Formats: sequence, C-alpha cells, structure tokens
Amino acid sequence: MNPTLVGVIGIVVLILVFFTRMPVAYVMTMVGYVGFSYLVSGAAGLKLLSRDFYEVYSSYGLTIIPMFVFMGQLAFNAGISRRLYDSAYHFVGSYRGGLATATVCACTAFGAVSGSSPATAATMATVGLPEMKRYKYAPELSSGSVASGGGLGMLMPPSVVLIVYGILTEQSIGALFVAGIIPAIFITICFAVAISIYCRIYPLQGPAGDKFSWGEKFRSLSKIGETLVVFLLVMGGLFTGIFTPTEAGGVGSAAVLLVALLRKQLSWKGFVKSINETLRTSCMVLLLIAGATVFGHFLAISRIPFNVASWVAELNMPAFAIVLMIMLVYLIGGCFIDALALIMLTIPIFYPIIINLGYDPIWFGIIIVLVTQMGVITPPVGINVYVVAGIAKDIRLETIFKGVLPFLIALIFGTIILIAVPQITLWLPRLMY
Amino acid sequence: MEAINRLIYKLVDWVKHLGGVALVGMMTITTLDVTTRYFGHPIFGAVELVSFMATILLACAMPMTHVENGHVGVDLVVRLLSERSQALIDSFTGLLSLTLFSLICWQSVLYAQSMKKTGEVSMSLEFPSYIFVYVVAVAFGVLGLATIPRLTRNLRITFGKK
Repeated sequence: MNPTLVGVIGIVVLILVFFTRMPVAYVMTMVGYVGFSYLVSGAAGLKLLSRDFYEVYSSYGLTIIPMFVFMGQLAFNAGISRRLYDSAYHFVGSYRGGLATATVCACTAFGAVSGSSPATAATMATVGLPEMKRYKYAPELSSGSVASGGGLGMLMPPSVVLIVYGILTEQSIGALFVAGIIPAIFITICFAVAISIYCRIYPLQGPAGDKFSWGEKFRSLSKIGETLVVFLLVMGGLFTGIFTPTEAGGVGSAAVLLVALLRKQLSWKGFVKSINETLRTSCMVLLLIAGATVFGHFLAISRIPFNVASWVAELNMPAFAIVLMIMLVYLIGGCFIDALALIMLTIPIFYPIIINLGYDPIWFGIIIVLVTQMGVITPPVGINVYVVAGIAKDIRLETIFKGVLPFLIALIFGTIILIAVPQITLWLPRLMY
Repeated sequence: MEAINRLIYKLVDWVKHLGGVALVGMMTITTLDVTTRYFGHPIFGAVELVSFMATILLACAMPMTHVENGHVGVDLVVRLLSERSQALIDSFTGLLSLTLFSLICWQSVLYAQSMKKTGEVSMSLEFPSYIFVYVVAVAFGVLGLATIPRLTRNLRITFGKK
C-alpha cells in the first residue's frame, strides 16, 4: 500500500479511537507504533517505542515543563491568586462589571506565574466566584469571566503551550514568551471593553461594588509585590541569558517557595499538593509529547507532511486564505480535543506550510494559542467551562457557555486584529532578540 | 482480588513518592547551580543530574496519573452510552493499554541491556545511562499493573449478571 494512504488511514483510525475516551497520548503511541511497524518493520516499530519514550523523558529541553508547572502550583497553594484578585478589585471594583474585569486582570497576572489555562481558570473560579456572588453578580457574567480569563494563562508567559510549540518547532522559548506579553495585555483590554459594553446593556449582570481611596489602592499593591519580583526575576534572567529556560523555572519555583515560607503562607499539606499536581500535569504533558513523537515518526515515514505542504503550494490560493483555513481547523479541532494535544498533532503538518508561505514562526505560535484559547471555551469540549462547572456546582453548564459568549466575541475580534497586524505581536520580540 | 488491588495501589503510591523526591531534587540542584555559578563554582554535571531526575520524575508519575485519570481523553460520545456499553469500551481500550505498556516495558529492558553491553555513559559525569532506561522499564511495568484494577472492574460490569 502507498505510504501516504497508510498515513491517511492512520489519521482516520486515530480520530475514531479518540472517541473511545482512551487517553489521547496512549492512542497516538498505539496508532503511531502500529503504522510505523506496518510501513517499516515489526522490529523497528518495537525499537521505536522504547527509544522515543526514553529520549523524551531524558531530554533536558523538556525539563522546563515540570519546573514551570511546579512554580504555578506553589503560587496557587500559597494563595498568591487571592491577593492578585484583591488588588485588582481595589482598582476596578467600583465600576459596573468591575469585579469581572478584576477577575480577568487577575487571570492575566496569575498567568504570569502559572503556565496552564485550566489551572488558571480553576484558581480564579475558587477565588473569584464566591466574591462575585457576594456582590450579586449574575452567574453568567461571573462564570463566563472566570472560564474565559483562564485562557489568558496560556498566552501570558510562562505558558506550557508556548513551551511545547517552541520545542516542536525549534524556536526560542524566550522569544515566544516575550511575544506573548503584548497580545495577552491586548486581549485583557478587549475583555474589559466587552464586560463594560455587556454591563451597559444588562446592568443587573454586574452591579458596581465598593469605592476605595487612592491610598487604599496603592496599599493593596504592596501585597502583590512578590509576584512582580518573581516574574521579573524569572523573565529577566531568561531574557538576559543569565539562565536557561529550565533554570528560570527552577529558580522561580524556589523563589515562590521561599517567599511563601517566609510569609508563612504554605502549609506542608499545600506543599505536598503542589508536588502531586505537578507530577500529574507534567506527566500528562510529557506523555502527550512522547505519544506525538511516536506518531510524528509514523507521519514522517508516510510522507504526509511533505505531500500536504506541496499540495497547498500548488493550490495557488492567497497566503492569507490558507492561514484562515488552518485557523478554522484549529477552531473546530479545539472544540473536540485538548489544545495541547491538538497543537502537537497538527504542528508537523501545518508548520512547514506556514514557513513556506513566509510567515513568522513566532507570530504563528501566538496566533495558534489565541485560536485554541477559543477552543477551551466553546462547546462541546471547552475544558475551561468544565473546570469552572466542576468547581461551581450551583452554576449550570449552559449558563457558563452563555456567559462566555461576550468574551468569545471579544477574543475573535482581538485575534483578527492580531492576525491583520503582526507587528503588534512581533514588535517586542524583535526589539529584544 | 481486593488484596491484589490494594498492593498495586500501594506500589503506585510508593513510585509516586520517588517522583516527588526527584522533582524537589531538580528544583534544588537547578537553583544551587545558578547560585554557585554566580560565584564562579557551578555544580559539575548539573544539566545531566537534572535530566536524570526528570526521567525518574516522569516515569514515576505515569502510574499515579493513570490511576487518578489525569490524562486528556474525549468522552463526548462514550458518556452518552449505557453503563454496560461504557464498561465494554473501557475494557477494550484497557486491554489495548495493558498490551502497549507491556510492550514498552519489555522493549525498554532490551534497550537497557544493549546500552549496558555497549557501556554507554553520560558525557560529563560518566554515569551509566542504562540504569535510567531500567527505571523507565520498571515504571511501565507498574503502569501496566495500574491498569488492572479498573480493567477487572470494567470486565465484571460488562460480563456480570444484571
């Protein structure tokens, strides 16, 4: 059989087996192994399994993932998120819908120490939802802001998705991190505008809260000083080349741990919980990478990535239209599969096309994160919505999906602007690299 | 069967603790290395030590992540089915997983043996790498065992009397 046909059959089988709810990582390994064995030989397929897993698990480049996940977990269990929220509330709480804006701002700030979108959503759901309920916010707006704001954790550096993208495409993780900052702030502003318009139309959704004097506002900032210091230490060290990305994560974790211990904010229980959560998240991500590596070897042998790239080149379509088509794949795919798994599956196929079209790989990374960020809040899979629903048992799933709508519109608007004007994304990384 | 399951969970837990120690070790070595490097005396072979610990961490986290359902999967369709049909599908995928992990375990043992024979060592510390391939092999063995309790439960639901 023609290798490309075997590759296509492999992809179809892969998608079918996904729907059996077998973990995505296991499915990729299994289909990749069977396909590779069929195209090369049984013995080569068996060898591929042990080699690929050991290579991924012992790769120094990938040690960055557990380090940054650990940093985010320690920050969460030390209660940093609550103080960020409190400070944001002092500044914008007195406006209509201000608490929802505070939630989104706190999500962005927390994203600066946490690398994962569902983790940020979970954190803010625990912190923000009870507060918004106290101020009589409607469940649509409160849950919608938490679920959507969580996606900002994926864009604001450090971001696990950007790390994985950087490793897969051999791009500088530092440059990707820098590139994420302005789009994250831009999307935060888009969200704030959306909340303000929404509350103007439906004033009962988010009534105005307490007013604070400027003195109180600035005093509240002192409580979040350590987050800023850790962020500056980690990013500063990384950008100036004092440490490698893994070292930045390690030093960041140690710094958060030290601050939490000095301020007596982290119990032994919280520390153990941080370790367990880190083990689980890191293993989930790394097993996905290992699975994608095995599957990627099969795809390479089937020559699908090359054939698709040359097929697209022969299409004679404008580059912009091709990018939009790729975005559509991510948008639809993101509704069904986890963002990270989707990126790992598709990068080997789409990345060469984007590079051939002359687009900047750093810009593409940021755009992919934005589009998959839409996926985490759109039905039917929308992982962030499920995370929020799991925490806020009294809010129905449909209510959250309804609440997410204004944010989704804002996100689509923001993404279109960032696609049309790549300079917004690329200005900062070009300045620094 | 209950006693065997308890033993398996204990094993999973024990392996998880080893992973936790490796994580804290990674953070400590990295931070110490950065600090001592600032004073001109970096830790020799820190990069290798961190990679070794990451191998231990990731391998040891696999069984617990499986047991605690930590992996991403698509349960859109399956959750609409009856309990028995769900158990049937889960039994099938559970058997596939068990086969896959057994294969990787076996292949990793062979890989470690061939590495030992060729005397492959790490570049700076000259530490024998095959030991860590054995760690991966053992972890896949435990992961295979960790699939058994859920597999037997699902088989019981599928083939048990209503």
